[in-house]
Amino acid sequence: MDIIGNLAHGFAVAFSFQNLLFALIGALIGTAIGVLPGIGPVATISLLLPITFGQPATTAIIMLAGIYYGAQYGGSTTAILLNLPGEISSVVTTLEGYKMARNGRAGAALATSALGSFFAGSVATVVVAASGPLLTSIALSFGPADYFSLMLLGLIISAVLAQGSIIKSIGMVVLGVGLGLVGTDVQTGQQRFTFGIPELSDGISFVALAMGMFGIAEIILNLERPEARSVLKTKVDSLWLTKEEWKRATPSVLRGTVVGSILGILPGGGASLASFGSYMMERKMSKGRHMFGQGAIEGVAGPEAANNAAAQTSFIPLLTLGIPANAVMALMVGALIIQGIQPGPRMVEAQPDLFWGLIASMWIGNVMLLVINLPMIGMWVKLLQVPYKFLYPAILVFCCIGSYSVNNNVFDVYSTVVFAVLGYMFNKMKMEPAPLLIGFVLGPMMEEHLRRAMLLSRGDVMVFVERPISASMLAIAAVALLAMMLPNLRKGKEAALSG
Amino acid sequence: MKINAKDVASGVLLILLAAVGLWLNMDHTLGSARRMGPGYMPMLVFWVQLGLGTLVLVLGLFSGPDPLERWKGIDWTMLILAVVAGTLVWQVSPMFGEFFSSTYNGVGLGMLVGFLVICYALGWRLLGFICAAMCIFALLLEKGGLMLALAATILISAMAEPEHRARPIGVLGLMIFLLAMCWWIFIKQLDIRVAVWPMQY
Repeated sequence: MDIIGNLAHGFAVAFSFQNLLFALIGALIGTAIGVLPGIGPVATISLLLPITFGQPATTAIIMLAGIYYGAQYGGSTTAILLNLPGEISSVVTTLEGYKMARNGRAGAALATSALGSFFAGSVATVVVAASGPLLTSIALSFGPADYFSLMLLGLIISAVLAQGSIIKSIGMVVLGVGLGLVGTDVQTGQQRFTFGIPELSDGISFVALAMGMFGIAEIILNLERPEARSVLKTKVDSLWLTKEEWKRATPSVLRGTVVGSILGILPGGGASLASFGSYMMERKMSKGRHMFGQGAIEGVAGPEAANNAAAQTSFIPLLTLGIPANAVMALMVGALIIQGIQPGPRMVEAQPDLFWGLIASMWIGNVMLLVINLPMIGMWVKLLQVPYKFLYPAILVFCCIGSYSVNNNVFDVYSTVVFAVLGYMFNKMKMEPAPLLIGFVLGPMMEEHLRRAMLLSRGDVMVFVERPISASMLAIAAVALLAMMLPNLRKGKEAALSG
Repeated sequence: MKINAKDVASGVLLILLAAVGLWLNMDHTLGSARRMGPGYMPMLVFWVQLGLGTLVLVLGLFSGPDPLERWKGIDWTMLILAVVAGTLVWQVSPMFGEFFSSTYNGVGLGMLVGFLVICYALGWRLLGFICAAMCIFALLLEKGGLMLALAATILISAMAEPEHRARPIGVLGLMIFLLAMCWWIFIKQLDIRVAVWPMQY
């Protein structure tokens, strides 16, 4: 396989003026929302989705990807300086990072996290480039039954790894699949669950659902909590590491990169899982483990490398199999489908510009982020002084215009309101909206594959266990479910996810 | 009994939605496992959801205690009042003018009234103002233009924050800033197809 040639092509695509500009915009927005607590990549990407419709698909995805991994850089800044996670994935960074800042090593902590992220990002780019075509060629031998089982596995794992009760999360996944069925049946043209509303014949608007549940509901919930933003006391001095710190951080970054790359690929995985996993590992394995709790640099280096690696490798299942591993990737699927591109194994062949351009832009984006985050750290610290009371009307206004401009129809604005109320209710009942979003995206695809598989097998359900690929997917799903029934593992998961 | 009220409520919600889904699904042809009709997948999905909902409900009876937030009398009263007022306004809205009988404007007005009514109860205030702010945007946008709609949205959303109510001058500054920013991004740069100023008659 001609990876070098393909990568060169990718860099040519990524270096076009427009793509560079939007990679930079994505990286800037990503850092900004990463720094700001209370607004995350899922909400941001869903409210920027409508803006991307006018752009070419490659440019749109490059920008949205930049937001996701940019948020991993920005989140650590707030965690280290304010002891507040800017993102969920930087929760563990607060543990050691803030202690380092208190010890007068804020600069070193910031530098470690940025350099570690950069290194991990570069490695992850290579991992995506190498495994993409490989997995694609395997995926091409998948039949409809295999796809169905694979999606089922993805749904189950995303529910297993979600916070809170597993059964409830699976319930949310199923509810999401059900919501995804609203609209015209592809094969017979029959209207399902549309109540005679013409706007629903294309299905529930993806943007309205995501924006309502993640954007608007989050605003209301953030306003309910009293603003817990402490005043910045720490001063950032030298951004350079001592020789001793270099020596301690390097192995942690290496381990974090490996852990992050692996956990990112897993369905249901992603940046937050990776940073928790890496933190656990560092606490057990690193040389400085006795220093944990007093500002150990290993506890910053490992998780920060891991979350950035995972943010990038979580694109692998999406780009090769068309299956979103987490809520952010579900939004990417939405963005691609709206652009008329069906994500799946044929994408590497059919959309080489998109695939290789995205990979190349990931590396370029990481270089940009290094510059954005290290020398310009002062600017982001200033951003933290913008109070939420001025921020939320701006977010709301963006949601309004965004939801309207998808179809130039006020119906979408009203549906966003409905989903905001639903999302708010879900939060009060501790029902996780992220599995619902993944189910919503995968639902229609699952129905199609299920129908095709059953047609081919003449109505024989055994096809799902007779095909080896499908059978192994189902077996893994069953093991994952059973494993979580074991009390020990469940406790471990709760400890890891609650941080 | 240690009731986990959050789980019980979730279970009830899942069961209710599944039941509605199954009931609506009676209109669709099921087909056979070999040739699935439009009703087959919904049937599978909603039965699974019904089962899961029941499981969540039953387990929730023992896994608590995890109570829901306590609703005061006023919360209930205003919720019912809001639903009644909203539905009423929606139904009579065509009488206010032709505008409300076309597309979703009547429903929108009903939602706006409902969300504003509910703000009277302190527990609902944030939800009410934020949702009302979105509704007024949708109502004003097509006739009143982007600027007017945004101004109204910002004004209503600012009501949700007590500090804004105490210092209206800050809201004015914020409004001018946001209007200018939205004009620059959405009209100048992205050129979305929408009226900017109120329509001339």
